[in-house]
Amino acid sequence: MKRVVTLGVSLAGLVATPAQADEQYFGYTYSSEVLPKGETEAELWVTDRRGKDEGHFDAQDYRLELEHGFTDRLTVAGYANFAGNHIRGLDDGNVDRDFAFRGLSAEFKYNVLSPYKDGFGLTLYAEPGWSRIHGGGERGTEYELEFKAIVQKNFLDDRLIWAANLTFEPEWEREVEIEDSGEREVEWEKELKLELSSGLSYRVAPGWFLGGEARYASVYPDWTNGLHRETYAVFAGPAVHYGGKNWWATLSYQPQLFGGPSPNGSRALDEFEKRELRLKLGYNF
Amino acid sequence: MRNAGASWFTIIPAAVAVAPAPLQATVYMSVAQAQQAMFPGAKFADRSITFTDAQRKMIARASGTRDFARTQHIWDARNGGGRAGWFILDRVIGKHEYITYAVALTPEGVVKRVEILEYRETYGGEVRSPAWRQQFVGKHFGSQLKLGSDIKNISGATLSSRHITDGIRRLLATYELLLKNG
Repeated sequence: MKRVVTLGVSLAGLVATPAQADEQYFGYTYSSEVLPKGETEAELWVTDRRGKDEGHFDAQDYRLELEHGFTDRLTVAGYANFAGNHIRGLDDGNVDRDFAFRGLSAEFKYNVLSPYKDGFGLTLYAEPGWSRIHGGGERGTEYELEFKAIVQKNFLDDRLIWAANLTFEPEWEREVEIEDSGEREVEWEKELKLELSSGLSYRVAPGWFLGGEARYASVYPDWTNGLHRETYAVFAGPAVHYGGKNWWATLSYQPQLFGGPSPNGSRALDEFEKRELRLKLGYNF
Repeated sequence: MRNAGASWFTIIPAAVAVAPAPLQATVYMSVAQAQQAMFPGAKFADRSITFTDAQRKMIARASGTRDFARTQHIWDARNGGGRAGWFILDRVIGKHEYITYAVALTPEGVVKRVEILEYRETYGGEVRSPAWRQQFVGKHFGSQLKLGSDIKNISGATLSSRHITDGIRRLLATYELLLKNG
């Protein structure tokens, strides 16, 4: 019998995002705001992903986060991640997990420019993390370090908000195969994930924003030996946001519009899912 | 046989259950209270203006702000000796809700006092502090009124600070164009 232990080490590199009171208008695209000095915010994220070419696949990603503004520009957060997975009829075997601890992560956001004061927002973002369950539902230890560049521009006296993120995430995945004899075989797999997302949201009433966002996600294996895209997908859908004095909430629906390779249609359903729904809740102390 | 697993129909009701309740208005001062605080003992004659398109364009050009109400609530403050000044009620967009404030002008159009009547944002309650409001006193049409240089920014409430600053610059332009010779 073979036991496979996967150790993934992600190194991501990139920069840019603005900030000023960490309230997110979109589910996937970060806006450039950060918390003021001394302020604290708790966030709960719930993401539902579902739908493959065949069989049944649904996954729920839960994130419980605590953020604190150490200066007016620097916000640091720590969060615990949990997962639920229900997978049947796919090649990698069945998974039936309602709720399990997935891992821990941290987040560092540094605001360079404010969209309200400087006319254009820019914030730099870094996120190291550890997880024990992969996004596809299988168990395996993974270390990650993701970098993101976030830009924001407001229009129409701040009624219309545009934000865009560029995520650059190289990964080194270490696979350890343990033979029945106890001998270990180690292999390293390199992978680069690139993502570009953008959202536009309009204030339709006091406290309420309605808009949409789109994402292009792609994966490049063995990227240090040349960039050859293995798979990609484009998602787009509506996003609604409500912000009150102490609470805010954001709901975003992201169906996959198209992707590749797509042997059974127009969508890439090996790496990605047919649709995603994300809810974010924030509470300011 | 097991069910199909968690559905996102379990997420949405959960969201509704914890969704924020509508905000309660935080009114710090009524219009009448602000009038008496700014012009003690004065009587107030309503001189509100509903702008024509041409007037709106003039004000927008003179102040650099384009987003404001079609009707401006203005009172002529009178005391025994004649005009004591102008009381102007205005509102600007905060991050979530409108911020209602009042500006008292001298008969010559100089800012005498600023009061915040309603403020409901998460951060930035410092806009109500006397020190922040005092920065506007003495300003008149043509004065430099820019957030960050002339008016101090409030951490976590840059949008509110900027919109109030822009609003007062607009009210000074309104005085200059429509009240000065009235």
